[in-house]
Amino acid sequence: MEIKYTIQGLLVYTTIAAYLLAFVTTILRRPKVGHIIYLLGFAIAVCSFGYRWYHVRHVPLQNLFEVFLCLGMIYPVSLFCRKALRVGGYPADMLIGAIVLFPAGFVFNAEPQHLPPALQSWLFTPHVAVYMLSYIFMAKATFQAICQLAGRNPKPGENLLLPEEATYRIICVGFPLLTLGLILGSYWGKLAWGDYWGWDPKELWSLASWLVFLGYFHFRYMFGKKHPRINSLWAITGMAAIIITLLWVNLSRIFSGLHSYAT
Amino acid sequence: MWLALLLIIVLTVLSIYGAFIGAERAQRFFNQPPLVVYWTALAILLIVGFAAFRRLVRVPGLLLIHAGCVLILAGGMWSSQAGHNLQKKLLGIDKIRSGRMAIYEGSSDNQVALDGTREQKELPFSLKLKDFRIEYYQPVYLRIMSRQGRQWKIPVEVDKEFPLGDEAGTIKIIKAYENFKIGTQEGKSVPFDDPSPGSNPTLEVQITEPSGQTSTQYVFERFPGHSHGQDKFLLSYHRVISDYISELQIIEGDKVVAEKDIEVNHPLHFGGYHFYQSSYDDKAGQYTVLQVVSDTGLYVVYAGYWMLCLGVIWHMWLRHIFSRFRAKST
Repeated sequence: MEIKYTIQGLLVYTTIAAYLLAFVTTILRRPKVGHIIYLLGFAIAVCSFGYRWYHVRHVPLQNLFEVFLCLGMIYPVSLFCRKALRVGGYPADMLIGAIVLFPAGFVFNAEPQHLPPALQSWLFTPHVAVYMLSYIFMAKATFQAICQLAGRNPKPGENLLLPEEATYRIICVGFPLLTLGLILGSYWGKLAWGDYWGWDPKELWSLASWLVFLGYFHFRYMFGKKHPRINSLWAITGMAAIIITLLWVNLSRIFSGLHSYAT
Repeated sequence: MWLALLLIIVLTVLSIYGAFIGAERAQRFFNQPPLVVYWTALAILLIVGFAAFRRLVRVPGLLLIHAGCVLILAGGMWSSQAGHNLQKKLLGIDKIRSGRMAIYEGSSDNQVALDGTREQKELPFSLKLKDFRIEYYQPVYLRIMSRQGRQWKIPVEVDKEFPLGDEAGTIKIIKAYENFKIGTQEGKSVPFDDPSPGSNPTLEVQITEPSGQTSTQYVFERFPGHSHGQDKFLLSYHRVISDYISELQIIEGDKVVAEKDIEVNHPLHFGGYHFYQSSYDDKAGQYTVLQVVSDTGLYVVYAGYWMLCLGVIWHMWLRHIFSRFRAKST
């Protein structure tokens, strides 16, 4: 664990602090103030991402530091879920934002790197960006699944969906992005490495995550809401597979492969 | 449906297992006969699903998703080594599935060393390598570290003097060599840039101490960490590769029928094959290594990708958006 005494580090730490403060304020029943601080945190997160972009001179999605910096810009997803899907969970989103920025602030190396030839492709940004967006949606879905398992329903009058339905709705938004990420990656693999499927550990784990959510849809189609707890467990398992795909595959020596440069 | 769910769970478990055993073994594992049976069963189940579940045909999104998966599986099987063998038996099409070819600058070749065997096969046309070159990110930097741990980074600019502070003096790059060699002239060792094939990138650096005393150090890119005990600074010189480029010509008979500079992410497509920049002669930069891959079945897979994407987006996003608009307008 290292502290980054740089402008980039300062921006990351300020965002984390803002998200945590927003979380505490919301929990202490000051939701409007919490929302303003959350919005402020998001603005700092955007500045942090923009600063990194300017600094490295390419879209900063090359390594885990940059990817987690991107994941920290969670606010639009919160807003979309609230307004379009009637799914709550602002305090959880604030916490998710702080949690994903933590490794960027304290764990991952922020040394700027040149893009290796394989990453110099128009597919670099859309492939990684759709994956990151889907991961944020799936993280939100997992939170709803946990709420379902814990029996925490929204308060009456909030006009929000029940956690089981909310989990399903969010996964319905995230799954096409997950599919798009997988297919763009495959197409890119064909252009860069000669094969659209290389049986690389990262590819196989991302296929496994996709398949878990595919299983979720089939199971939910078969049984509907009869077994809400099992539905929730499917969603949580999917998120576990995503975490392994994103982190373990890149950090562990067990899974060395074509995607190893992304550490 | 239970069978579909079972096959999904089995494939999930197999994918996780494959991730643990590494790409090479996983590729062999997923092409073994029991797995071929699995892939076939999955494809058959998807096709049978259209007859058994009318909803799969009636709902456009579901139809696209499942038909897309059938095409991906069919294209994948058709493009595999077993698929190529089958095409040879049934249709008499004898194509190389994948292999590699090394071509020297100025020469042409059509021999492909097949992947996974020691066999070689000929392409029906030849490839000529006009030139191979490596491009580097600019500017290139010389990194300097004093024995006390102070660090500097200066751009490699010949004859420009950089101050390192009052206590450290100045540093100047005298010459940048591409292929550094040492010869003898009148009994003395003299460095020179050897124009013959080879590569030994080196910087000749002059360090001027605050007292005015000068010394010369050589910084070798290929031998990082090379220094003498009396050296005041540890110097390192490393260029970051931005691209590998092979300038290729396709020759049929005596005619040049196509020409392309191939780079990573920009392969050449000709005669049913894709040619990729795979490797190169890292000692002298005299030859390039190309990966040759057959395009059989590829467009079936791509069609499947399109259908799967469109199906998922239609089924999970667009139809809800449209129905919401419709509901609002009525």
